[in-house]
Amino acid sequence: MVFAIESVKYYYGELVDLMEQAGAVIGIYLSNPLELSECYTFIVRWIFPVLAVLLFFRCTLPLLCDIGHNQIWGYLDTKNGYRIPLRHWENSIGRSRLSDIVINLPFISRSHAVLAYGENGWIVTDLGAKGGVEINGERLEKAGFVKSEDTVSFAGADFLFIPAEQGHESIELENKLSRIINSFGTVRYGKTFLMILIFQFLGGLQLYLASIGEGVSASIPMPFGLFMLAECIFYFFLSRFSRKHLELELLIFFLCGLSLFIVAAVYPSYLLKQSIAIILGMIVYTVIQIIIKDLGRGRKLKYILVFCALVLILLNLTIGESRFGAKNWINLGFITFQPMEFVKVAFVLAGTATLDKLLTARNLTAFIGFSGICIGALIIMRDLGTSVIFFTAFLVIAFMRSGDIRTIALISSGAALGAFAVVTFLPYVASRFQAWGNVWEYTDTIGYQQTRTMIAAASGGLLGVGGGKGYLVGIPAADTDLVFGMLCEEWGLIIALTAVLSIIFMSFLVLFLMKGCKSSFYAISACGAASIYIIQTALNVLGSLDILPLTGVTLPFLSNGGSSMVVCWALLAFIKAADERQRPAGEDADEINETEEQADWDEERAGSLR
Amino acid sequence: MKILTKRAFALLILSVLLIIGLLVFTIKYINNASDWAQHPTNKHLFRNGQLQTTGKIYDRKGEILLQTVDGAQKYNNDATVRKAVMHAIGDSYGNVMTSAQVAFGEKLSGWDMVNGAYRFNAQRYKPGNDITLTLDSEVCVEAYKAMNRRKGTVGVYNYKTGEIICMVSTPTFDPENRPDVEGNPDRYEGVYINRLLSAAYTPGSVFKLITAEAAIDTIKDIDTRTYECAAEKLIDGNRITCPAAHGNMTFKQALAHSCNVTFAEITLEIGGATLQKYADKAGFNSSHKVNGISTSAGKVDVSNAKGGDLAWAGIGQYSNTANPLSFMTYVGAIGNDGIKVTPSIIKDSNVILSLLPDIVPEGDRIITQETAASLGAMMRNNTIEVYGEKNFKGLELCAKSGTAEVGGEKAPHAWFTGYMDRDDCPLAFVVVVENGGSGSRVAGSIAGKVLQKAVDRMSLD
Repeated sequence: MVFAIESVKYYYGELVDLMEQAGAVIGIYLSNPLELSECYTFIVRWIFPVLAVLLFFRCTLPLLCDIGHNQIWGYLDTKNGYRIPLRHWENSIGRSRLSDIVINLPFISRSHAVLAYGENGWIVTDLGAKGGVEINGERLEKAGFVKSEDTVSFAGADFLFIPAEQGHESIELENKLSRIINSFGTVRYGKTFLMILIFQFLGGLQLYLASIGEGVSASIPMPFGLFMLAECIFYFFLSRFSRKHLELELLIFFLCGLSLFIVAAVYPSYLLKQSIAIILGMIVYTVIQIIIKDLGRGRKLKYILVFCALVLILLNLTIGESRFGAKNWINLGFITFQPMEFVKVAFVLAGTATLDKLLTARNLTAFIGFSGICIGALIIMRDLGTSVIFFTAFLVIAFMRSGDIRTIALISSGAALGAFAVVTFLPYVASRFQAWGNVWEYTDTIGYQQTRTMIAAASGGLLGVGGGKGYLVGIPAADTDLVFGMLCEEWGLIIALTAVLSIIFMSFLVLFLMKGCKSSFYAISACGAASIYIIQTALNVLGSLDILPLTGVTLPFLSNGGSSMVVCWALLAFIKAADERQRPAGEDADEINETEEQADWDEERAGSLR
Repeated sequence: MKILTKRAFALLILSVLLIIGLLVFTIKYINNASDWAQHPTNKHLFRNGQLQTTGKIYDRKGEILLQTVDGAQKYNNDATVRKAVMHAIGDSYGNVMTSAQVAFGEKLSGWDMVNGAYRFNAQRYKPGNDITLTLDSEVCVEAYKAMNRRKGTVGVYNYKTGEIICMVSTPTFDPENRPDVEGNPDRYEGVYINRLLSAAYTPGSVFKLITAEAAIDTIKDIDTRTYECAAEKLIDGNRITCPAAHGNMTFKQALAHSCNVTFAEITLEIGGATLQKYADKAGFNSSHKVNGISTSAGKVDVSNAKGGDLAWAGIGQYSNTANPLSFMTYVGAIGNDGIKVTPSIIKDSNVILSLLPDIVPEGDRIITQETAASLGAMMRNNTIEVYGEKNFKGLELCAKSGTAEVGGEKAPHAWFTGYMDRDDCPLAFVVVVENGGSGSRVAGSIAGKVLQKAVDRMSLD
């Protein structure tokens, strides 16, 4: 009873308070002259998080649907009429459960052979199996071509090989979960793209209005316009000429837009440079995709890039310049860039191999050598954050290559010892470790950036104080190392977390795509690229928040920086290449030539069936 | 490809680690974001290290104690008021950890989880963030003046509603004209500590109230017994002394004259375990929460004490310490028929609500009603017999003094604590003057002045 009266009293009191205040509040708000920018922020700060979360789901869910995920590139027919589909360009054959084609006969080796599609057709490679491989009755030395309707026998088990000419046939693999997820396949990407444009337009306007009176607002609209125009062109190009899903690119558009928000708040004069870097990134992304579409070209690209990387490393070590304690910049007079960023692309490619190579030559020497050069050079440059990125990516790729957990453990422990030595002997690294976990005791010295990031993050709350209205901009490296704090403060925790989740999503996408990958070349490069994204994100975000030591690396797609942006796009090409799926056809129904294309398409499929 | 799918779990591990890191951050954010935002370097909420309060702090009579005017903190207009309530309000740099500015910083700053530090139209003042304290600034000023530059504390609270009317701690300073605190370590010793909430002093004879309570409950014929005091007594080689031989007397008289010898005997009869139980019940060894502000805990550990140590403990020496607010709450409970009401510093400021009948806050019974009544009667007797009714005219004062030896060459701490047995003014109080000398004379006169003022002010309510 007492409690009831108490609570009635309480809520009644609250209500009266509220009404008393409402009048006072309106009066007080109107006592200051109302600014347009203030009114604008007041409304849109509620719209941004909603849009961002919607965009996140609209971009990620369609990418997880299974439709078009199981293409078939050929068949192995058994004598009794049973048909084994070849789902990849590279198919391992053996008794092992982990083989793509499991032949459970006692005389077949665990890893018997690889049947792979290369530049000149299908090749079968003997993995040194006891029973051997025969094509039309001829024993193979090591590898040999197989043509349509050849008889391939593995240790006496005969199969009739039938390639699918265009290799397009998908098997519907449905269970309850995939049916739910597949229903998201119908989310219209056109609408998603429109939402992204709205988000970026509203955000740009917010920054423009916030900067009025600071003398820099004039430099804001043009780069934003340029960026959005580039997005439109790229979107148009993709929707016409690509049959793949568009959502991955849309997700990256969203992140790139956020990076412009950051740059506009910190250095409006760099905005144009950042927009151009994004456009360059789109171009590099497209070019790399076209090149590696063909495995042979991909392999050549690998050697060229590794060579270029070695040259870049050498250049960096000789004519490199120091900034913020790390000698990792090259100044060519008209342009400055960070060569080690570009080396990342070569590094990921250097680790790739096709399945036959991967299963025959377990030799990693070349890759280990190249990794050693990269990491050694980075230590000489005193860029320890980047060396951690390379090392972690190395571990992921090396494990994918060898599958040997003991070797990896050995290398890791060696590296841990080395790292311990580095931390102990380099005083400036040691001071970062000293700050780690205790930044609030060093708020004005070695914990300066981390504490300011946390203060900024707290000041933003869930919705943020509004673009261009934060105070973290005054802290060194706010636009690169402390980007997460900037996002939290000006755009709110919801958007900041959404951005980081978008990056994390890419790694789950890669894991999801893995099973449908045509070639291990794509699988390994996609994993390498995703692991670089993840480790960079972890070091950047968690470093600025004192959960890891602060190392000063960029946040993929979000930090200010041309080299970083272009390289992130380049790495994205590897992830995209791992995705073989076609987007559902119904989307483009409004396009005029759609029916025609569709007819071609159907014919092609029919051909492949024949 | 299956084999690669399996080997890709290294990437999965990395991703999961990153997600765990983000979760750790999110949990830290939920728990600590308010503290992060309250950091004085946060330009959203602070200017020149001063909190830009979005609300004002009032006293119970509507006097403004703190507000922000044009980006600078503005305290009360009267310098004496500023000094008297400095510990309650806090200085501009967050040095007083128990002050309203620190403890209610989140509300004053206007920060919240959803909006962060966002303010529409750069507007700082939000009426909803006003705080009305239960303090009466004039009573505080009276207490500050009565302390007369001595170090110590004065606390007065309503033992029925829990409202703290007076909370003064000295030394203090004027937050608008901050003196050179570091340069005068002696004068400003512990100036940032609110002694009422955060100090723990040797209680001395006021502790006899707890011993007396235990005796009433455990010794059946205590009222009919007589004790003999010959000025000193040896217990296991420990000498317990009284200033003079009190001769033969009853239990009641022993409390009034604060006879150490008698109470030493009683303590030994009760035993350490029982005394420990009563001390814990009285609030020793635990801290209070005054609207979320933690007070320091006093300390009594006699469960293993024997002989002379136990005897000294029973008369408030040994290793005993008492927190003034906690002790005030205990005597308040004696006044409130044994029910302890936790003190509060924030007043419900709503006008409409004050018209509704007050609902007495729920309290804990820490003393049985009968024991509280007889203890109260004895405390009333103290005033009439020893402290002098003429010094506390009309207050219906029930009190106990204490003169706590602090060792060395230093003068003892003067304690005076008790309550007014009046339904219209149910006030309990505590006064401690560090190295002040005689409890009843020094601290008692301060209590008298402050209580008279409080009664005057209450009649205006």
